[in-house]
Amino acid sequence: MRLLPRRLGLLGLSVPATCFLLGFFVIPVGFIVYYSFGFKPGLLAPVATTKLSLARYSEALSGPFADIFGTTLRIAIVATLVCALVAIPFAEWLAVHVPRKHRLKVVALLIIPLCTNYLLRTIGWQVALSDNGWVVSALTKVNLLHGGLGFLNTQGAVQLGLVYNYLVFMILPIYVALDRVDPATRNASRDLGAGRIRTAVEVTIPQAWQGIVSGCLLVFIPMMGDYLTASILGGANGTMVGQLVAAQFLTAQNWALGSATAVVLILATLVTVIATMILLRLIRWTVGTQRAIRLPKGSTS
Amino acid sequence: MTRLRNANLMTPLMWAWGAAVLVFLLLPILTIAVYAFNGGRSLGTWEGWSIQPFQRAASDPNIIAAVSTSAQAGLGSAALATVLGTLGGIAAAKVPGKVIALFTGLISLVLVTPEIVNAIALLIWYVRIGGPFGPGATPIDYGLSRLMVGHAIFSTAVVVLVVRARLAGLGDTLEEAAADLYAPVWRRFLQITLRTAAPAIGAGFVLSFTLSMDNTIISSFVSVSGYTPWPVFVLSAIRSGLRPEVAAVSVCLLGLTLLSVATVAVALKGASRRSRSTP
Repeated sequence: MRLLPRRLGLLGLSVPATCFLLGFFVIPVGFIVYYSFGFKPGLLAPVATTKLSLARYSEALSGPFADIFGTTLRIAIVATLVCALVAIPFAEWLAVHVPRKHRLKVVALLIIPLCTNYLLRTIGWQVALSDNGWVVSALTKVNLLHGGLGFLNTQGAVQLGLVYNYLVFMILPIYVALDRVDPATRNASRDLGAGRIRTAVEVTIPQAWQGIVSGCLLVFIPMMGDYLTASILGGANGTMVGQLVAAQFLTAQNWALGSATAVVLILATLVTVIATMILLRLIRWTVGTQRAIRLPKGSTS
Repeated sequence: MTRLRNANLMTPLMWAWGAAVLVFLLLPILTIAVYAFNGGRSLGTWEGWSIQPFQRAASDPNIIAAVSTSAQAGLGSAALATVLGTLGGIAAAKVPGKVIALFTGLISLVLVTPEIVNAIALLIWYVRIGGPFGPGATPIDYGLSRLMVGHAIFSTAVVVLVVRARLAGLGDTLEEAAADLYAPVWRRFLQITLRTAAPAIGAGFVLSFTLSMDNTIISSFVSVSGYTPWPVFVLSAIRSGLRPEVAAVSVCLLGLTLLSVATVAVALKGASRRSRSTP
């Protein structure tokens, strides 16, 4: 009987944080949605909501905006896939090949980029890859390159920067998933005659699956909204939607259009994530039904 | 036989891959660390070793102001996030799943929302409500309170997760024993619940401070002139031309961050060893 008031008291502890997040997160984000139906009344005012319409959405979905949405989606998907392809073997190396006593040291090395300001890591690439940076002079010295690299301010540079900035968020969940696995299962697969590749496809990847999925989510969602990497490495021409949203708020002062673009960005991210999840479920389900060994009813021993 | 040869070939390949990825991850950071000692006027053009960037940074009033704004905003937001997040984390750990689901759902929502959405929402909101977040606010200047509150949103969610992880699965036996011994509610809370959570609370504070010091996106939207935090200063320096001083300050800040993270790791490790050794 004492339990109920105690639980209510404990539940009450979550009230301050809830109020804070409602007041500075939920309601403000609600206002983005509200403002996205508004318009820009004149040069000085950023937004007005006296007449609500869907006009900003058609603006945000047409012409150059639609192109940039397409580019953003492509860049984010490619970068997520590259992250996964780099991270899976790395995580397997860390979980299987590195001796247990040294693993924590490697994890500590992985933490260093996370502790470095993300602007600074990106500036590091800018300095390294610029035409008077050390990469170009080293390549010129060994006669691999003549003249500049011309890599900065291209989509390739944005792609590299995104892979770099989010790679660790892909590695850590996959490593955690693989670390929990009993190495005996892998050896068993090998002993039963499966080759390296077959073991990887049929044993290792299914075991790491949860980690791969959460890694992809951790990487893809923030990448879609990223605008600093693109504006440092991608030059003046906007390549990512985040840059469009920032420009509407910080320079063009058109909050209505900026809000509508942000709402479309959130929806596009959600739809991509949900569609991918459904697709993966379907694939696993079809593969599963083909593979399943159907036992006759009654033999449940 | 062939499989054995394959295995022998795969192992060095895996090691090469691992080393290559680590080099890739550390490359730009090492670049910045080396270029912090660049004697030239421009960061990107190498003109020989020098410690002048560090001396110039220490005497540049704009740089000092930016770093001190960041430090103040970091302390304020970490304090706010630690208080709110600790209480929330205790609730999330002790109240059974379904009752608290709405709260944990809100926390996950905060964690997955792209930061830029959060940033524009706050900008709209601060301009709309004014008060402590508008010009002329006292006692805390609005430039500072905008940063503190803005940074505390994500950090609160992080502290909730850290504290919940620490308390989850510990059960209520200690609290119940204390209750049987007639300890009043507040004493049970202070001496048992909070003390068990203490390492996580400390870790949450340091994490929040680090997150705030690094926050660039929310800061660049909500900061006002006179209270420019360090990352926003760097961002404007990118546009006007980077100097080696920026790298020098960043290397010092990285050193401090690594030191504090190492302290937290040691504290958490020690705490878990102690709680395991007491039956």
